[in-house]
Amino acid sequence: MTDTRRSYHQELDLVRDEIVRMASSVCEIIPRGTGILLDGDLEGADYVILADDELDARALELEERCYQLLALQQPVARDLRTIVAALKIVGEVERSADLVVNICKAARRIHGHDLDPKLRGIIHRMSDQAQHLFSCAVRAYTDNDAALASALDDMDNLLDALQREFIQAIFESHAGGRVDLQVAVQLAVVCRFYERIGDHAVNVGERVQYMVTGWLPEHTGAARLGVRRQLAAEDAEPT
Amino acid sequence: MNPALAAVLAAALAGATGWWAGRRRLVRQVVAVSGRPQGAAPAPTSALASLERAAAADRAALDAARFNAATMRAALDALPLGVVVVDADGRVILRTKAAQGVVGARHADVLVDEAVAEHAEGANRGNARRQQLDLYGPPRRTVVIRSLPVDVVDEDITPGATDAPRHAAVVTIEDVTERTRLESMRTDFVANISHELRTPVGGLALLAETLDGERDPHVVDRLAGKLLVEAHRVSRTIDDLLELSRLELEGARRDEVVIGVVISEALDRVRSAAEHRGIRIDVGDKGRALRVTGDRRQLVSAVTNLVDNAIKYSDPGSTVEVHAELTGDALAGHELELTVRDHGVGIPPTDLDRIFERFYRVDRARSRETGGTGLGLAIVRHVATNHGGAVTVESAEGVGSAFTLRLPSRREPAEPAPSPTAIGEVA
Repeated sequence: MTDTRRSYHQELDLVRDEIVRMASSVCEIIPRGTGILLDGDLEGADYVILADDELDARALELEERCYQLLALQQPVARDLRTIVAALKIVGEVERSADLVVNICKAARRIHGHDLDPKLRGIIHRMSDQAQHLFSCAVRAYTDNDAALASALDDMDNLLDALQREFIQAIFESHAGGRVDLQVAVQLAVVCRFYERIGDHAVNVGERVQYMVTGWLPEHTGAARLGVRRQLAAEDAEPT
Repeated sequence: MNPALAAVLAAALAGATGWWAGRRRLVRQVVAVSGRPQGAAPAPTSALASLERAAAADRAALDAARFNAATMRAALDALPLGVVVVDADGRVILRTKAAQGVVGARHADVLVDEAVAEHAEGANRGNARRQQLDLYGPPRRTVVIRSLPVDVVDEDITPGATDAPRHAAVVTIEDVTERTRLESMRTDFVANISHELRTPVGGLALLAETLDGERDPHVVDRLAGKLLVEAHRVSRTIDDLLELSRLELEGARRDEVVIGVVISEALDRVRSAAEHRGIRIDVGDKGRALRVTGDRRQLVSAVTNLVDNAIKYSDPGSTVEVHAELTGDALAGHELELTVRDHGVGIPPTDLDRIFERFYRVDRARSRETGGTGLGLAIVRHVATNHGGAVTVESAEGVGSAFTLRLPSRREPAEPAPSPTAIGEVA
């Protein structure tokens, strides 16, 4: 009995370790992708796009492992939350890596065009902020730090603000004739990718909170819906 | 650092640990026997005494082995190279200090650990491997991981004392960031200097050749103009190279220099360039009367280079700010900080730590337009070093750059500022 339980806990640790590793590699490819985009490094783009397949495979494998744990061990309470959170987080991580791949694909499309230094500067800052968010999410997950996890939402505001600033800068660059329409559109999409990576980091943070405290992000939305329904019902009531 | 040496040390340690474990088991048995005088079968006194002697000897041997192991561990911890030893069952026997938190960023260290585990597994199957990891951090680091299988051979191990497999995996982790940087600096320098000197000279030869036998006065005019431009370029590069070698040879004179005078002299030199591009230069009032001990000519050259750069890389019509101030306190020593700030294109973060290298260019195409030699910042750095100071840069692309020249200084200004006419504003 003790032996099976131990291997079960080892399995849980393995799941956690694998998530930390995968998320860490996403932390690494965010600045790499930005470098590829800004330097027009086509070879690097190919490499990142290919390497993503490995991450996809690992994500599938991890999911499979989680299902097995659920089916065979029937975990409860915190263990159950850990596995459910792992299932959700692995999706967020995998999707974030895909977004970096999209950035690399955009690098191919805008290859050969010089970028306005102002735009380059904001891209750098967005990349730094997205990476910072993601590495904080990893730290919150490894340390079971619900406080840090809940701070991610506020940190994401900065990234959102940068995105707005970037869109504004694209308009100005375009008006000044310093950027093609095609490139401008590509860049607008790219900044959305960074913003999405930040959102995924926030989602990871929410799952960490759920794992540690049992709090569910849906509760806030669900509560709002409840209030709205109640109000609607009150309005509909004939007076 | 020689990984083979580390491997030998680690193998010795692994041997010592195995031997030690065997001994400890033996001693435990002996102590168990000798520590039970009122047991079921009381042993004869002499036999008990000899057993106790044997136990004492073994305890001493155990302590010696422990001491040896501790010494080895300390020796390995002292290496700059990180060493991880993993036994045949995949357990980590040893992880030296340098092998922990190699990069200093949480997620990057996770990746290093993952690579180390992979390497150890491979080495236990008999594969030696070398891998280079480029980690973005921050801080950005290049790490080389090597793994090799080692045999644990030691005649002193009692045969059959331990049934553990007689091999282990050694993984070394080495931070090669600085070395890689220096290597690329050297190769780039050789490539760049030949480029910077050969291109204009080649241009000169070509232009002269075309000019030879040309009769059309318009074409002759145009070619002669181009010749002149190229000749000036070569002469500027050579001047700067000479200036650099002079800086290297001479060191700095130790005169009392008022920084305001240095600034105004530098501004005189760049005035026309600034006017040409419609750039305003703002000089802060504060700190002009500050003094440093140093070489006026060198300081003027450094400040000129900084302001000249600021003008070149500013957007037309923008402002360049120059100001000096005293920082630090009486205890830590005062420093004069001279900052030149522009609101121009800025410098990408990846280039920031390389721009002070000779001939390093962030953007080749643009630097040819601006006509720089690629040596300006190298000169600034040399002047700073000659004066026992430093030059640093902060920059964001599209926002601008601020170069700060820090020079050791003595106390507050003793005299009133020089007359304002000496340091005019360049409009």
